[in-house]
Amino acid sequence: MDRAGDLRGIRRGILRMVHRAGEGHIPSSFSIVEILYALYARMGADDAFFLSKGHASAGLYATLAHFGFLDQAELETFGRYESRLGGHPSNKVPSVLSASGSLGHGLPMAAGYALGKKIRGEDGTVFCLVGDGEANEGTIWEAAAHAVRLGLANLVCVIDDNESQARAMPSINLEEKFAAFGWEASTVDGHDLAALEKGLFGGAPASGAPRAVVARTIKGKGVKELERNAVAWHHKAPSAEQLAAFEEELSP
Amino acid sequence: MREQFAKTLADLGADERLAVLIGDISHFLLRDFEQEFPERFYNMGIAEQSMLGVAAGLAMRGFYPVVHSIAPFVVERCFEQIKDDLCYQGLGVNIVSVGSAFDYAALGCTHHCYDDLAILRALPGMQIVYPSAPHEFDSLFRATYANGSPTYFRLPAKTHEVRTSPRFGEVELLREGGDCTIVVAGPQLPNALAAADALAEEGVACDVIYLTTIKPLAASARAAITASVQKTGKVVSVEEHSIIGGVGDEVARICTDVPFTARRVGIADRFLTNYGSYAEHCAANGLTAEGIIAAAHELA
Repeated sequence: MDRAGDLRGIRRGILRMVHRAGEGHIPSSFSIVEILYALYARMGADDAFFLSKGHASAGLYATLAHFGFLDQAELETFGRYESRLGGHPSNKVPSVLSASGSLGHGLPMAAGYALGKKIRGEDGTVFCLVGDGEANEGTIWEAAAHAVRLGLANLVCVIDDNESQARAMPSINLEEKFAAFGWEASTVDGHDLAALEKGLFGGAPASGAPRAVVARTIKGKGVKELERNAVAWHHKAPSAEQLAAFEEELSP
Repeated sequence: MREQFAKTLADLGADERLAVLIGDISHFLLRDFEQEFPERFYNMGIAEQSMLGVAAGLAMRGFYPVVHSIAPFVVERCFEQIKDDLCYQGLGVNIVSVGSAFDYAALGCTHHCYDDLAILRALPGMQIVYPSAPHEFDSLFRATYANGSPTYFRLPAKTHEVRTSPRFGEVELLREGGDCTIVVAGPQLPNALAAADALAEEGVACDVIYLTTIKPLAASARAAITASVQKTGKVVSVEEHSIIGGVGDEVARICTDVPFTARRVGIADRFLTNYGSYAEHCAANGLTAEGIIAAAHELA
């Protein structure tokens, strides 16, 4: 299994989608490729995933295609008028549970989904991926309080801490903040698959608390130009020449 | 009305898909449900937006959630959750409010809510139910809570004792006359009927059309409104709501091919900055039998 090759392939897929559509968020998608890969490689039928930071939709679609939930060919429709694959995901997309886009909506919904499973005594873990910028939103912290109060040991919140909010209102000390709300919180290298797998699938803690995994990531990870100028590239599509150069950097 | 809400929920509690989330109000009122079905009853504190999201997540798992709080907090504050989480995703969450319009008169504008019908009417897929007697809530809630669409129930503090037979999506014709159409929703119904009776004595015979569903109105309901307006050419709408976006606007939206003149009895485009009582606010806004009669006279 060539995991490094898989990850490069997913990133190339993201680049091509955004280039073709002239639309999409590449750096925000690149920072979560390892997180999504670690999740989809291990999630079972009883598990569920919510992408709360919906602007990383290209990353989600490329990952879904890699794991067979979407045809690779459908990725070419990204952003088109009649496509199922929009700039923010919706539940039209196979295997996608919820729409997202407006930030701060995914974690409350994931908490409700986890509560539903808990009421029924169902197995499985509900994962929700939020961004550090998204953690500016008050509903993240409302949901953080709800999840503890509701005893959602089956809920894992992964924070893509790519420091996207460093220039505005930094989301600092996220591990401590979640811990202060009563979560079992930890921090991992968000580009290290082994560390992610351990953090995400380590099992429910004895405390019965929900788990927060702060994944330290690099916005634009994998292409130096995107990493250096992540802010400029936040919502920008590469030209044909840029695409070729970036793909070259992501070749074996 | 709130007692009926509690009773209906307790009656339906055996439905294992029914789950109740409250925004730290009515916990004592709903104790029967809580005691019998604690695994499906949660006081979510003062965090209404996340409460709506949690309800959406429960609906995704096949539950029929009921969220309950005061209208400004569960509607105006949560508008984007209602739009994105409920309507866009087509999730059958039931929102039950109290304290709409100026029911909390003395608490001031932050605790008033007279734009809820307007903003929710604009959302695709939203169902809006406005019962104003206990039996109306009971039958309309039972008819809709599990139908898979997001539904808003506006529960007024004041109720009427008129014998009505509401059916979801339909209107009721409670007086019949050819000179003027009075369209009314909510606890103003007795005033509308009293106005119609007084007008009849002076020779102005009125249709009184009573709405308990604001959205969607069935084709038969729209036809009934259109036929009445075609007959009379005059409409007085009556509602404890802004004159922008409520029942008067709905009548105008429906009657696109019928010429008519209209007066709207409701809350003008302003904040109600006085305090006092429900009755004082009704009087100040013409929401009385006399106010309705005066509006009809203007159309004569």
